[in-house]
Parts: sequence; C-alpha cells; structure tokens
Amino acid sequence: MNYMPGTASLIEDIDKKHLVLLRDGRTLIGILRSIDQFANLVLHQTVERIHVGKKFGDIPRGIFVVRGENVVLLGEDLDKECDQILQRVSIEEILEEQRTEQQAKQESERLKLQAVKERGLSIPKADTLDDF
Amino acid sequence: MFRFQSFDDDCTLEEEEGLVEEEDEIDQFNDDTFGAGAIDDDWQEEHARLAELDELVRDGPPGPADASSGDLTPAGSNANPSALPPPSSSSRLYPDIDERAGGDLAESLTRLILGSDPAIAGVGTASSDRSHFPPKLSSQAPHLSALSGQSLMRSYQHHQHLLHRGPAPLSQINSHSIWENSMGFGPVNSGLVNQKEDKTLMSIIKEVGLPNRPPTLSREEGRDLSERVPPPRSSSPVIGSPPVRAVPIGTPPKQPMSQVLNQQNNHPSAIHVRASVPLRYPPPFPERLSPNNLLSIANSPLSHPPFPAGVGPVLSQIQRAQLLNSQVGQFQRGPAPPLLQGGVGGFRPFFGQSGPRMGPHGPPLGHTPIRHNTTHLHPQHRRMLNQRMQNRGSGDHVGGRGVGDRKNRDPYSNLMTQREKEWVARIQMMQLQSTDPYLDDYYYQNYYEKMEKRQERDRDNRKEHTTKLITPQVAKLEHTYRPVQFAGSLGKLTVSSVNNPRKMIDAVVTTRSDDEEKREKQVWNKRRQILYTVEKMYSLLLEVQDFEKKFLQTPEHQRDALLEQHKTHTLQLYNSLREKEWDDRVSDEQCLMIMSVRKGKRLISRLLPFLPQPQAAAVVMGIARNLPALAKKDKQDQVLCWLVEPVTAVIQSMSSTSLTDLLQELQGREGQLPLVLQNKFGVTLLYLILSEGERMQSSDPNCQLMDDNRWTELVFSVTRELLKVPSSALSSPLFTPPNLVSLFSRYVDRQRLELLQEKLQITSLSR
Repeated sequence: MNYMPGTASLIEDIDKKHLVLLRDGRTLIGILRSIDQFANLVLHQTVERIHVGKKFGDIPRGIFVVRGENVVLLGEDLDKECDQILQRVSIEEILEEQRTEQQAKQESERLKLQAVKERGLSIPKADTLDDF
Repeated sequence: MFRFQSFDDDCTLEEEEGLVEEEDEIDQFNDDTFGAGAIDDDWQEEHARLAELDELVRDGPPGPADASSGDLTPAGSNANPSALPPPSSSSRLYPDIDERAGGDLAESLTRLILGSDPAIAGVGTASSDRSHFPPKLSSQAPHLSALSGQSLMRSYQHHQHLLHRGPAPLSQINSHSIWENSMGFGPVNSGLVNQKEDKTLMSIIKEVGLPNRPPTLSREEGRDLSERVPPPRSSSPVIGSPPVRAVPIGTPPKQPMSQVLNQQNNHPSAIHVRASVPLRYPPPFPERLSPNNLLSIANSPLSHPPFPAGVGPVLSQIQRAQLLNSQVGQFQRGPAPPLLQGGVGGFRPFFGQSGPRMGPHGPPLGHTPIRHNTTHLHPQHRRMLNQRMQNRGSGDHVGGRGVGDRKNRDPYSNLMTQREKEWVARIQMMQLQSTDPYLDDYYYQNYYEKMEKRQERDRDNRKEHTTKLITPQVAKLEHTYRPVQFAGSLGKLTVSSVNNPRKMIDAVVTTRSDDEEKREKQVWNKRRQILYTVEKMYSLLLEVQDFEKKFLQTPEHQRDALLEQHKTHTLQLYNSLREKEWDDRVSDEQCLMIMSVRKGKRLISRLLPFLPQPQAAAVVMGIARNLPALAKKDKQDQVLCWLVEPVTAVIQSMSSTSLTDLLQELQGREGQLPLVLQNKFGVTLLYLILSEGERMQSSDPNCQLMDDNRWTELVFSVTRELLKVPSSALSSPLFTPPNLVSLFSRYVDRQRLELLQEKLQITSLSR
C-alpha cells in the first residue's frame, strides 16, 4: 500500500534499518520500528557508531526513542560494506580515539581563545547556539 | 498499593458494618484499574488453593482453611470497591480469628497495619517478633530486589512474619488478597520453594491464563510478534493519541511454554502481575532454552560488536564494552545471574531470536544461541563464534533451520500496526488540507503542475501512471466573527477572547501620501528608490499573473469585477513605465531606472506577456532605444538575456511598420549599432528583428515592409556595420536565425554575402 505518494513520509520506512544523525552529532543505526506525526522514532537494536578519522566503532545501545526535533536526517541503511575505506575497531579503541580527538580540539580552541584574548579581541561564546 | 493504605483508614472493628454497605456498589474504578481480572478471575478459589498449599508448608490445621474460604465467599464478591475487599474480608474474618487464634488478634492486627505502612514500618512496633524481621529480611533481600514494587517487600515482610508466628491461623493469610499472597510466595526457604513454587506457578499460570500459545510452534518460531493475542485494555480517551494497541508494548508474544523456567519476570502482561515468578538461575546449559532465556544469557557475555546487537542489560558503557570484548561462549551463569538480578528490575523486552533480515551475511548459523542477532556479523566473525560454540560442546543443539527461512522473517516486524500507520498518515494528510492551496502552498502547487506536465510529456508513450497524492479539498468557509455586543452598553467590551482580543492601544493606521513619499524618497538611496518602485510594480504584476487562477475560482457574478480589476492593474503597470504625456512611448528615464536593477529586468520580462500589443511594442522600442545604456549597466548582472523570450514573442506579433520602427530605434543614434553588436542581447535582438522581417517578406509578398525604403536602408546600414566591425567586436548571439542569409542575399552581392555569412556563423560555440 502506497502511503502518501509524492511526499516525504516515514511510513514506508518502517521495519528497515536506518542511519539516523542526531543534532548532538551522534550517529545511530537501528531498525525503525515506529513513528508518529512529529517524526519521533523508535529504533530497535540500535548501535551507536562513532567515527574518528578512518576508524569506526559500534556500541550496541538497544532500543532508542528519539524525539523528532532532534533528528537532523535519516536514511535507509543498505548495509553496503565499507571495509575498504573505513576500519572497524573495538569499542574501547574508538572511545579512546574519540577522547583524544576531543582533547585535541579543546586544546586548539583554548589556544585560539588565548591568542585572541592577547590581541584584545573577544569572540562571543556560542553558548546559546545549538551544538553542531 | 491501594489496599494497604485502605487498611489504615478503614480497618477497625467498629467500622466493619459501615463497610458492608458499599459492597453492593459496582465500582468502575476497580474494573478500570484491575481490568477483567478483578471480575473474571475467581480469586477466591485461587486463594483457597494457595491457602491449602500454605498449610501444607506449615503443617497447619487444615480445617480452618475450608471454613475461612467459605467465609470469604460472601465477603469478597465481585462488586466490591477496590479499596474495600481486603478490609472487609479481613475485618469480617477477625471475629473468626478471635475465636481461633485467641488473643493474638490485636497484635497481629497492629502488625498488619504497621507492616503495611511504610512510614511506620521503619519505626517498628515494640513487639517480641521484631527480632524475626531483620534476619528474614536480609536473607530474602536479594530475592526481593528483583521483585517489583515496594509493596511486594512490605507484603512479603508481613507475610513472612505471619508465617513465622508458629501456628498462626490460616485466616490471617486469607486476609490478604490474592495478589499479596502470590507475591508473598517468594522463596521462603529455598529448599521448599522450588517444589512448591512449581506447583504454585503452574497453578497460577493455569488459572490466570497466559496468552494462547499454539502448541505446535517450536520454541524457535515462537517469537513471532505479529501474531499476538491481545489482552483487553481500556482505551485512552485522549484525542490525538494513537489508537490503542491491541497488545501493549510489553506483552509477550504467544509462545510455547516448554519450561516453567521461561517464566522469567521478563514479560509481565498488562493485567496480571506476575511477580510470583522468582528469579531462577537457569540450569547449566539447558538443552532447550527458550528464546528469552537464551538471549538473556547469551546477550550478556556477548563478545561481538554486533549490529544490531541484542542489547544487554543496562550496564555502563565500559562494563558493557568489557563484557562484549570478553570471550563469547562462556555460557556460565556467572555473569548471567547478577545481570538478571541487578539489571532486570522490570523486564527486558524483546530479545528476538533473530535480528532483522538485512540481506545475506555469511554462512547460516547452525547454533541457536548466537542465532538471534548475528545475521549481520562479518562472516568470519560468525565463523569464529561458531567454532567457540562448538568447542564448548554445544554441538548437540538443535540448529537445523535453513538460512532462507530465517532471513525472510523479522520477528519484530509489524510492531506498528496497519491502523497506526494509517493514523499517522491521516494526521499528515490533515496537515495538507487547505481551503486555498494557492495561498497556503503556492510553490508546491506550481511545482506539482510543472511536474505533471513534464510527466505527461515524457510518459506519453508509456502507460504507467504514477501515483498521485490527492490532498483533500476542503471547502472554504467564511467565518466572520462578530464580537458579542451588548445593546446600550457604554464603552468597549471588556470580555476578550481568542477571536476578539481586547484592544489595548488605539492605533490608527496612517498611510503616507505620495507627496510625502517622494520627499522621503529623496533622502533615500537612489537604488532603494528604484527597488521600491520595482517592488510596487511587482505586486501589481503578481495580481495580474494570478488573475487567471483567480478567475477560475471566483463565482460567475464576480467575474466581471475581477476582469475590470485585472485591466486596471495592467494599465497601471504600463502607466508607471510610459512617458508622462505620450501614450505610446515609454519613458526613457523610467525604463532606464527600472532596468538598471536586476529585479527590474526580471519584472519587465514577466510583464511583457501581459501587456497588450501596442504597449508591449512601446516597451520593446524603449528597450531598443536605450540599449547601449542598458548594456553598460548590465555588465555586472548579465541578465538582459532574460528579455529575449518575451521580446521575441512581441516582435513576432508586431506589424511591419512597427518592426521597421524598431529597427530604426536600434540604430537611432550615432555609433549605437556597434555598441549593440557588442552586446549579446543586442545582437540577438537585431537578428530577431531581421529574421522577422525576412519572414514577413518571404511569407507574404504583399507585405508593407518594402513600401518605403526605410527597411531596405536600415538593412543596408546593418550589413555595412556588420562588415565593418571586426569579428572580435561582434558578440555571439543567443541563437542565429537561419533565414538571415536569405535576407542578406537580397541586398548584397555574393562577395559581401560570404563575409556576412562568416560573421553570422559566430555563435557561442565558436567563441
């Protein structure tokens, strides 16, 4: 049955594996089980995939209920192997990598801020803005 | 829990008569709260049986049990309000107790109350039996932690206490409702329990009833959620919420009950609190594990990073990661029980035995325990797992299911029922309803129309029809709101509503007259001025453009008025362009002004089709006249070519005289033509004019083009210019009409013709 032809409706996507990008930057991969009019999603057997550089790691998360407004985009995951370019690593390793990356970023930010301050300028903090 | 609290209020001997009166009332709340179970189940029988069992445990006098159960029958009949049955039954029974137990009543009663009230329980009563509490509690604590609800704890405590009061009459137990009893039947002594438990469990389960399980389904195939039998449930009256699921989310599917073991507290049904099921440690590597059990065991020490993993219990990230990284295949109960205990708490739903069928992934698994969500594992990984499994000697498992079979079925599919999908679709359709689609969603409407036309064009040969979304057409309803008026009232209405908000400020809208506008305009930037003019014209133009659509929508009697309005608009538009005095000439100043902005050019190009012929011609002439200036101004934008299409249309409908005039305009001033030739649009325009003239001449021998020499002269001058101008200075036109050569052949000799041809062949491709 063709629901809502010509529109972007999620009804046809139910029970298929999807990749969901959230507003806070997380990438979830799960089977879309249920939706509603706000595009709130219920993901089943979800895995959070962390990418750092060319490495990625999957953390199994279980069932996710995502509020619709926090979704940036989602699309069907067709399970194409990507082993040529990306390299799957263990969870610990990817978390480690992520932490390192975060630290490096924070460090560079700090240095930048310092340099800016030295020059008497000020950059307003993006506290009120959404991340990413 | 309701009942316990009611004890506080009602449970005194003096009030028991008062309580009796209400027993006949049918309490709706009770039914809603406890569902069919409160009515349909014969808890009395249940209770009696449990009481018997309890007797067996304690070797109490079997006699009172029958009598007490007999007593219960009149007391606890169906219509009791939820709060009342326990007190009424208990209060009724207390006289019995008095007879039998003699002397302990007051004490037991107080303890009943105090034990149930959490506030008091902590304080405790000064009784000799207090000493019993702590040891019992501590030993039972680990068991109880997994049972849901504090009330369980309390009832259990209390029950324990009662049990250990020696030959306490069974009636005391009878005073509990069935729920407490069953809950209280935890592992009293672990040794005793196991046997009794089975019986209890089986009896309870038989009584209470599971959802139907087709006995023919093997355990593997049992977890098909699409065939659940729903217990009844009251529907929520909240509008806008999804249709009530026939099956609550946590309901277990039908499945064969191969073992009592399977009745973990993982899947409570909506109605029946299955808290009586104690935690059990699955026996070492049982031969036939139910899917639930399998998964709960297998998940925890799962080593692979699967997608999508059967989710382990709620561990911390690292913990889980550690677990996952540890070797799989350790199906010991080491990790399992603590996880089951600590992590479960409530229930862990839906460890489906297979993950979603997402395409082929490696060889089929022959081993059940990993089957559930490893279909997407890397083939090598799965092979490794298999090997480990084999090493553990699990080879005797039943695993012979074909890959294809498994792959085609996703046990979690259709969690969202058809009804729910339709509900969401309906909401989405409602959002598309509109009384005036052109107002609400103009761009989509236009886009859709274009798409349809394109599809028609493209798919004419093919018979297929794309499905179209038919949005509901809602008739436009006129709602004029007239606020409530009171005759003879002074001043303004003080009642304000959504439709009639109170006016806080008496703001009067004053429109500035044109004079003032002009004065203010001088202060502004010239460009802004221009833009302002252009925008005003645009609004008129939009009205004109929408005329057709509006025309179709307005009822008959209003159509004339609309037509008039349309004419006025068009006139106004032209008026803004034309010279003050002359009707048929466009003001150069205005023209230049408007065309100096990109928006203005766009405006003119959109306007031209709507103007009547003479006026359109005048506009085109104005353009031609001012072409060099326009060309210069257009250097940055390069959008003059937008005009080509409408201008073409105009030219083709021009008369010969006006055409000649146009050509003249194009060459009006000295040195204009070279400049024209330098500009792409200019060249195109020139060619268009010439081509049109040629067409006129060749098609209609009587045409007036040749009546005076103007045309000929003009063409001559064009040819001269074309020959004179170097190729580099000649811009390439948008397109070169084919009949120019024939035109020129009339006027020039062969030699020059060839040169002209060369020039003509300068197209954008050759550039």
